[in-house]
Amino acid sequence: MGEDSPAIVLLGFGAEGWGRALIAGAGLTLMVALAAMAIGTVLGAMLTAAQASRWRGLARLATVYGLVLRGVPELLVVLLLYFGAPGLLAWVAALFGLPSPGSPPAFLTGSLAIGLVSAAYQAEVFRGGLIAVPSGQIEAAMAAGMGPVKRFRRIIAPQVLHRVLPPLGNIWQFNLKDSALVSITGLAELMRTSLVAAGSTRRPFLFFVAAMVLYLVLTSASSALFRMLERRGQRWAGPA
Amino acid sequence: MIRAPGPRLVLALVLALGACHATPPPAGLRELVIGTEGAYPPWNFTRADGSLAGFEPEYLRVLCARLHRRCRLVPMDWDGMIGALQTGKIDLIADAVQITPERAAVLAFGRPYGLSTGLTATLRNGALADLPDRDALMDFDRQGPALDAMIARMRKALAGKVVGVALSGAFDTFLNQAIGPGVTVRYYRTMGERDLDLLNGRIDATIEDETYLRPLLATRDGAGLVLGGPRMIGGTMGRGEALAFRRGDNQLRGEFDRAIEATLADDTVRRLGLKWFRMDASPGRGH
Amino acid sequence: MNDELAFLAMTALAIARALPVTVLLSVAGALGSSGLAGVLVVAQATRLGRPIAQLWIFVFRGTPLLLQMFMVYYGLAALGPIRHGPLWPAFREPVFCAWLALTCCCSAYIAEVLRAALAAIPKGQIEAALACGMSRWTRVRRIIAPQMLRLALPAYGNELVMLIKSTSLASTITVVDVTGVAQLVIAHSYRTLEVFCLAAAVYLGLTAGLTALLRRLEAKLMEGPRR
Repeated sequence: MGEDSPAIVLLGFGAEGWGRALIAGAGLTLMVALAAMAIGTVLGAMLTAAQASRWRGLARLATVYGLVLRGVPELLVVLLLYFGAPGLLAWVAALFGLPSPGSPPAFLTGSLAIGLVSAAYQAEVFRGGLIAVPSGQIEAAMAAGMGPVKRFRRIIAPQVLHRVLPPLGNIWQFNLKDSALVSITGLAELMRTSLVAAGSTRRPFLFFVAAMVLYLVLTSASSALFRMLERRGQRWAGPA
Repeated sequence: MIRAPGPRLVLALVLALGACHATPPPAGLRELVIGTEGAYPPWNFTRADGSLAGFEPEYLRVLCARLHRRCRLVPMDWDGMIGALQTGKIDLIADAVQITPERAAVLAFGRPYGLSTGLTATLRNGALADLPDRDALMDFDRQGPALDAMIARMRKALAGKVVGVALSGAFDTFLNQAIGPGVTVRYYRTMGERDLDLLNGRIDATIEDETYLRPLLATRDGAGLVLGGPRMIGGTMGRGEALAFRRGDNQLRGEFDRAIEATLADDTVRRLGLKWFRMDASPGRGH
Repeated sequence: MNDELAFLAMTALAIARALPVTVLLSVAGALGSSGLAGVLVVAQATRLGRPIAQLWIFVFRGTPLLLQMFMVYYGLAALGPIRHGPLWPAFREPVFCAWLALTCCCSAYIAEVLRAALAAIPKGQIEAALACGMSRWTRVRRIIAPQMLRLALPAYGNELVMLIKSTSLASTITVVDVTGVAQLVIAHSYRTLEVFCLAAAVYLGLTAGLTALLRRLEAKLMEGPRR
């Protein structure tokens, strides 16, 4: 299947070219990373809240979650969800008296796995951000008669955002790169697409270079975006 | 996933209401949904542009034309395919499904349209280029001293060698259970990775379906490979490829069986085999 | 119940047998990447080495390690000078390729950590050392290195934890490490949760052990006169 074609044809957009598939794969990589980031933000915020909770059991549970998910390889989490999800789903379905629905979509298990790990790191970032707001300021805001929403918007959010944005940018980069691990579930994101192309044309060097370039585009574009946001954030937060 | 009954319930209601007003449409008008993996070349695979190609997509077009039915192939993971068939998301499976007793207990197999055997591929100048029992039939459904002797010879020949196989396939089971610890088994997630390592000499051999190996040998890179060893069939490797239907869906199965019979008789299956497998893989060639 | 225990024992034994591979990759990867990171930091101080080191860091930090593993294992093996050259006996081995990819990738991250630590050493100290007439070597040994060690240790420790976790990617290029064994056992037994919990426990043990070790080292370094 085209192993004799020149590189320009193999990477092109013709019938034999993998260009379209690689671009689509890069798009899917971006989607997985975005979904994982969103899952991680929601779950991470919940973990931060749980850690600050008055219920010691809940706080401890959140701490243990963070320790485990930050201490275990991301690949293992992806594999666990990939192999374990059909069984879990069948079990849940059985509770409702339904037949086993089979495997959940690879996109869902994949981004959930990366998101679960991302949450553990994001929780740390949020916790660090919250600590950065001196309690005196919050007390002062309360004394000034600010409600909780106004307090969050005017006092907490600007300072936390300013602190949180750079490390969140870091986590985003890790999400982007960790999304490659989802390729083992068969999802045709960038890593998987380049591997399939490498295998079926037997030109691994060419396709892995192509994938590297596309990953570099994704990571450097998003780091430029985060730098811009940081500058904006600084202006918004005013002189610290 | 808790919401899953919702749409299904609505669908059931709609169908029930429809039944009150009119008789259901004749089966011939409904589009058939066919599950396939799209990742098992050359039986079925996804082209660079995302379209499905291979023996089965082309063959199913022929069959559907004969039956005057509209068909749609949907790619899905093998893991979820039997579940999708049983829940009615698809009407049949066309994924080079090997006929094995375990599967026959949950699926209704149609008439086989393929019969391929496992072979060993090695580098032409490699350490394993001269395996014993070349082209002899190694039938795992005929247990006995002849089979045991053959396995023993294979075990001896492979001792100390590195053999690469696709993870959790039938050949993986064979190497683990019959050949045992004397051979080093390397596992690959995709066949492409395994092919690369076979070609660059990191593994001494692979055991794979002949229908996959023949087209590989026909490529420029594959010219350095040779096929050898016994032809493996039966047991977990199955006895031929067939369409899989829901158990009890006898009408649809009967329709397809008649069409398959006709395509076997008029040489279509052999012709498609030569095109996609570079060999005749139609059943009834004397195995 | 007995079956379950026997299965767990068998799995634990299989994982224990693969543990040396994971530990070896971690230790060799830590040594290789730290050494290479040092080279990168030094290279960044030279005019010729600076762009090369920066490109190295850009590429290895900007792409997934999984892709780098595949590149080293399958990609380089497809190149004539590697496949038919004198290095092939090394590149033929999956473990070597995994180590090489780990070393290249982690060196980029560690170099950034070291560079940040170097930048954090107050300029005045180096000027003072110069004023005292310290030679270049004495300056590095007495002023720069100890400070860098203290400043870089927390972030360096994080990178080492990442490195231990990253060794699991070696399983994707046929290395039978702890993760590789876990996958094989699952593929042949269809039992998922208990196998992964065992494997996860191994990594947790390794990373927790390293973290505890680093914390003690950090505490020791802080004992000295500070500020």
